[in-house]
Amino acid sequence: MRRHASAIAVHAILGLYTLLALFPIVLVVMNSFKAKRAIFNTPLRPPLPMNFDPVGYTKVFGDSSLPLYYLNSITVTVGTIFLTLLFGAMAAWALTEYKFRWNTLLALYLSVGIMVPIRLGSVAIIQLVAELNLINTLTALVLVYTAQNLPLAIFILSEFIAQIPRDLREAARCDGLSEYNIFFHIILPLIRPAMATVAVFTMIPVWNDLWFPLLLAPAGGKQTITLGVQQFLGQYITDWNAVLAALSTAIVPVLLLYVIFSRQLIRGLTSGAVK
Amino acid sequence: MAEVRIENLRKSFGAVEVLKDIDLTVEDGSFVVLVGPSGCGKSTLLRSIAGLEPVSGGTITIGGRKVNDLPPAQREIAMVFQSYALYPHMDVAANMGFGLRFARTPKAEIEARVAEAARILQLEPLLKRRPRELSGGQRQRVAIGRAIVRKPQVFLFDEPLSNLDAALRINTRVEIAKLHKLLAATIVYVTHDQVEAMTLADKIVVMNQGRIEQQGKPLDLYYRPANLFVAGFIGSPAMNFIAGQVTQGGIDLGPDGAVTLAGLTAAAVGSRVTLGIRPEHVRIADGEGGLRLSATVELVERLGEAGYVHLRLPSGTVAVAEIRGETSLRTGDRTSLALDPTHLHLFGPDGRRMV
Amino acid sequence: MPQGTFLRLLVFFLGPALLVYSVFSIYPLLATILNSLYSHQRDGSYLWNGLGNFQTLLFDPTWSVPFWNALKNNFIFFLIHMCVQNPVGLLLAALLSLPRLRFRATYRTLIFMPTMLSVVVIGFAWQLILSPLWGIAKMFLQTFGLGFLFAPWLGLESSALITVSLISVWQFVGIPMILIYTALLAIPDELVDAATVDGLNQFQAFVWVKLPLIWPTIGLVSILTFVNNFNAFDLVYAMKGALAGPNFATDIMGTLFYRTFFGNQLQLGDPSMGSAVATMMLLIILIGVMAYLFLVQRRIQRYSF
Repeated sequence: MRRHASAIAVHAILGLYTLLALFPIVLVVMNSFKAKRAIFNTPLRPPLPMNFDPVGYTKVFGDSSLPLYYLNSITVTVGTIFLTLLFGAMAAWALTEYKFRWNTLLALYLSVGIMVPIRLGSVAIIQLVAELNLINTLTALVLVYTAQNLPLAIFILSEFIAQIPRDLREAARCDGLSEYNIFFHIILPLIRPAMATVAVFTMIPVWNDLWFPLLLAPAGGKQTITLGVQQFLGQYITDWNAVLAALSTAIVPVLLLYVIFSRQLIRGLTSGAVK
Repeated sequence: MAEVRIENLRKSFGAVEVLKDIDLTVEDGSFVVLVGPSGCGKSTLLRSIAGLEPVSGGTITIGGRKVNDLPPAQREIAMVFQSYALYPHMDVAANMGFGLRFARTPKAEIEARVAEAARILQLEPLLKRRPRELSGGQRQRVAIGRAIVRKPQVFLFDEPLSNLDAALRINTRVEIAKLHKLLAATIVYVTHDQVEAMTLADKIVVMNQGRIEQQGKPLDLYYRPANLFVAGFIGSPAMNFIAGQVTQGGIDLGPDGAVTLAGLTAAAVGSRVTLGIRPEHVRIADGEGGLRLSATVELVERLGEAGYVHLRLPSGTVAVAEIRGETSLRTGDRTSLALDPTHLHLFGPDGRRMV
Repeated sequence: MPQGTFLRLLVFFLGPALLVYSVFSIYPLLATILNSLYSHQRDGSYLWNGLGNFQTLLFDPTWSVPFWNALKNNFIFFLIHMCVQNPVGLLLAALLSLPRLRFRATYRTLIFMPTMLSVVVIGFAWQLILSPLWGIAKMFLQTFGLGFLFAPWLGLESSALITVSLISVWQFVGIPMILIYTALLAIPDELVDAATVDGLNQFQAFVWVKLPLIWPTIGLVSILTFVNNFNAFDLVYAMKGALAGPNFATDIMGTLFYRTFFGNQLQLGDPSMGSAVATMMLLIILIGVMAYLFLVQRRIQRYSF
């Protein structure tokens, strides 16, 4: 009996917290499909034929730039993940495999980036990006995000590479593979799980970031979806249908992806990478 | 110390039955070893006695008291885990006294009992060390010490030697046997190592697929295995099995020949049986006879004082014979082997022992 | 391997990462610190100013009042995270890691959901929910007969900062939860079994056996919270704009930095003063990290199982 009661209490707490976590999201998505009157009079009622009204969405998609902003976000995120994984894995390999004089010093140099947020260098980043003529380009965002994510990526991948049995690399050397081939044909395929973890760590903050898009690419059709939604909300602040629809278009794709990949994602987060 | 009595014990995870109708008595002060292949349910049975696994049916009595619904701490048991499960953040003394602290035992009493256990196990110089500063064997002794201080009715050991290297394993095995005598303890011990089982046990319980296949004294199991499973599981190298069919006055082994055997009932004639014989009861000997089979030598293993000859019978069955001293046999030689009639085992079509 | 080949190997593997990292991370940080030592002139040139900018920031009332206000707010912001986010995360992780819990994966997935979403979306959604115009929050309180408690929390100077902090807590509680949950899962089952045999109930086993073993993770969660909180910007900007109203009640270091650098309705942007603010933030974060590394982490014992 006591076991039963405590199980109920545990489920009650977890259930209530789950409701609290979901409530705002559900509320926004639900009401985005309703007529204005229904939004205000019966906010807790789900969208039904009698109060259905997609006017918000017509407005959101009438503003034809949102699909473009999505594309921008995807480009920036994929580009960042690609460069972070490639450069990160290469550096991690060199740092774990080759013994040279400033090996430890370099590792220390890289670890600065784990502790110090790159945002604090924003003043100089803007000046630098302006000098390189990269203001309002996605390239600027990819480079900055890659610099931001590289240290942690190198750290995680190094730990993983260090666990690959030495024999494997020695065997490859005996087979006459060059160092480049060992890396690209033996090491890279073996550290795929760790790369998935790094990809997860990289993806979420890059996709959701507001700061650098605001600073480096605030206009010229180069906005990311996060900034684009923020700007859209600013313009239509009094139009509740449009606001709710814009929020929903930002929420739903991310949540769909999340639900599909949540197992891998949580596994990535719990893979002991953060020690 | 107390007796443990288990009656009709059942346990299932969903539709999977992991323990099927287990009946077992562990006499007061006896050392009972549960053996079996991995997944046979031996660890589950031990954890059920400990109260770490809820059971689906049946009763468990410890010292005449039904403990089914009691939490582990109230069952008066102590358990030694496979990984030792020492608390990494406490020193050796704290590890041993931890359970007593929660039983609100007076401080002086805890100290006395820890000191006593430390003396028995020669842990005195290590009392202030943390587990990670100890060797595998020392950790093992601390785990046993933690069990001793509880003054339990029953000690439960879950494969306690499997994390030790070979030499230490033998030492610790001897230590555990001595400890059993010293404490006159009732012990239930799980292992997959049959040498541990044979050397330590007053009674061995062989389990397979959630069932008890046979229980008894170690040598009884060795000389009179109740079925094919026990016959094959106990003994190393394993017992030789040859398939055959009962005839008037003997057994037809097909292409391997035939053996004459007295004492078979007429009713058994025609039934398919399995002949079993241990390697030490097979002799290499030329010539013909009632209990001789011809064979080809496949491999000779020489261990020094003894050796094993692997032989292929005409049917393809491989048999192993133990030899003493040197032999001139080489791979490919044709020879014949003689079976010792007093040590023949015969198993019926259902796998049970006949005769 | 010949010296030249080895060097070429190192350049090939390390070069790209070091280049990108140095140019877009280390150089800007150093340049920002250097920048903070100059003063920006109206004609666009820079003059050496030594520590003058910091003197202005800390002691000139036009600068020091907003600075101390933002710093104080940021500490409150951090304290609320430490006192609410991390304990709640610990509680949820402890419950999620209970043996034989049903729907474990579902709870974990759903509770982590808000953490996935952008702060902009979260901030705006909560703004709508708490808005007196929509009245959802008020309606809720009324159901429990607590309608009188309702106030436009985000609009009031006294409650805006706490409200924003709690919304941030709501969003990010998934991170401590997942990290602590992972640490709890790493504790071997046999250790908990041993505690059970030793007579501890679930709660006691948590307090006496599991908790001491996850202190390193709790320490890590705390320092992560500290760095993230003193680097925060998005939520306040999304909900209250760069002016962090009402009357700077929600102003934190990130928004102060943004305003100082870019300027706003009230003042012109100033790269030098912006750099000075960023350098102060860097200093605060470094002090926090160092304090953690040298004072806290040394005392925490790590265990491997």
